[in-house]
Amino acid sequence: MKTSTTLKPRKYQYFLYLGPGVLLYIFAVIIPILWALRYSFYNWSGGAKMDFVGLGNYIEIFKDPLFWKSLSNNLIVVGICLVGQVGIAIIIATLLSSKYIKGRQIHRSVVFFPTVLSAIVIGFIWVIMYNKDYGLLNWFLNTIGLKSLIYPWLDDPKKVIYSVSYPLIWQYIGYYAIILLAGMSNISSEVLESCEIDGAIGWRKLVYIIYPLLKPTIAICAMMSIAGNMKIFDNIMAMTNGGPGSSSTVLAIYAYKQSFTFFRFGYGSAVSIVMLLVSVVIISITKFSARGDNND
Amino acid sequence: MTSINIKEKLGYISKIVVNLLMVIFSITCIYPVIWMVYSSFKTQNEFNMDILSLPSSISLENYANALKTANFIKYSANSLFNAVIGVTAIIIIAIVTSYFISRFEFKGRKLIYGLFLGAMLIPIHSLLVPLFSIFNSIGLYNTRFTLIIPYITFGLPTTLFLTESFMNNLPKELDEAAAIDGCTLGRTIFTIIMPLCKPILITTGILSFVFIWNEYTFALTLLDSDKYKTISLGLAKFQGQYSSDYVTQMAGIVLATLPIIIIYLVFNKKIIEGMTAGAVKG
Repeated sequence: MKTSTTLKPRKYQYFLYLGPGVLLYIFAVIIPILWALRYSFYNWSGGAKMDFVGLGNYIEIFKDPLFWKSLSNNLIVVGICLVGQVGIAIIIATLLSSKYIKGRQIHRSVVFFPTVLSAIVIGFIWVIMYNKDYGLLNWFLNTIGLKSLIYPWLDDPKKVIYSVSYPLIWQYIGYYAIILLAGMSNISSEVLESCEIDGAIGWRKLVYIIYPLLKPTIAICAMMSIAGNMKIFDNIMAMTNGGPGSSSTVLAIYAYKQSFTFFRFGYGSAVSIVMLLVSVVIISITKFSARGDNND
Repeated sequence: MTSINIKEKLGYISKIVVNLLMVIFSITCIYPVIWMVYSSFKTQNEFNMDILSLPSSISLENYANALKTANFIKYSANSLFNAVIGVTAIIIIAIVTSYFISRFEFKGRKLIYGLFLGAMLIPIHSLLVPLFSIFNSIGLYNTRFTLIIPYITFGLPTTLFLTESFMNNLPKELDEAAAIDGCTLGRTIFTIIMPLCKPILITTGILSFVFIWNEYTFALTLLDSDKYKTISLGLAKFQGQYSSDYVTQMAGIVLATLPIIIIYLVFNKKIIEGMTAGAVKG
């Protein structure tokens, strides 16, 4: 009787073994989400006084130009990074999958490296890279005669949102390239051989056979890129703190500052909830359109 | 005859082009970090004169400066403390949970798995205000153990996913044999299954360590005292103090990143495999 619990645990054993993980999750994820929802209906600055304002915070959000600015900034970052991260990653994965390539293993390890660095380290590295007098970037542009492209990277309010996006691209190209490379190597060699017999080689093989078969992997990368950049925070905080002014403020920074700089916890929570919803909507749209493509 | 020649030449040229492009790209991925490492050994003057040259002599002054003003050793120790407890807890919870999910059919099995993996999609910034206020009201704000709870919770999903897929490939006959030999459930999990999972536990352990070492947002929100601050917070504070002394800044960045660089040099294959597994398997 006793031995059989190994293959068929008793009820108390389920609670004993699964309990800690589940409780932790409820405590640190489920309850906070519900609480954020609750706070979002209050005017609250952290003290004992909490005024119920109904949908007041949400109405205020939609009237706040800074919210719209943050949202549009965030969408710019998402857009640039989607094209930059996944687009360049496709090119790199194609190069890496070439039979001509030497030292594939070393290239793989090198291009992936920036992915493991912390967001704030990447941010600080790029603050130095972008430096007017001592940065690598201006030195490089000067050297190759493209001085005209230089601008105050992190100080020009109109362009700073682009400048904070490039490091994000730089950090994650390798990550998506490796995923796409794995997707490419999963394409069966029979398919590739038969298309070679049919005369599809070189570029034609890439465009008509490999890329279409890679579509599901590309869709996964696109989804991860969008989801990741919708919640971007640390990198930009490290580089510009959302500035100059609010010109590089994205949703997470907006929510953070409303909550922890201005101590508007109710309002900040409402922004968080909106952020959660926007992410869910965008991920669903991507997922849906990716699925539509596959059915064709 | 000539057409074969042209073909050969074209093949030769594309070979060079492909390799050249790839080498250039790889250099752009790694050069900024290499530049920072060697520049951190230059004096400020030497750096200002020529930002690109290698240091003429190895000066440790920037490191001495960094270690003196910002307590990098203390911040690193705090991060290490979080990482050791966090990684251990993540692995134990993941092993047990994956074992149940992989071996048994029970009510709520899919729900539990779905809940844990769902945590990967949630923007943690939606949870900051409630976590801050909950932690505050139960006395968990700004303590030595504060960060361990969110770190376990958000480090768990990846580990759970990888461990569970790994366990599915272990034959069930092992458990049956263990049961016949009179092994209890706990002994089966910890003395039979866990040792077999060693390869994936090393991978997930490293990934969790990297996650905890690099984490910034929770630390920023849930800590206040300097004595508990993690390496990310310490670095951020340090960068603020030395805003125009670039070589010292670089020394600080190198100090904060060194463990990650070393781990990557040794385990890069496992790290790449682990971090991309979720996407590759779909």
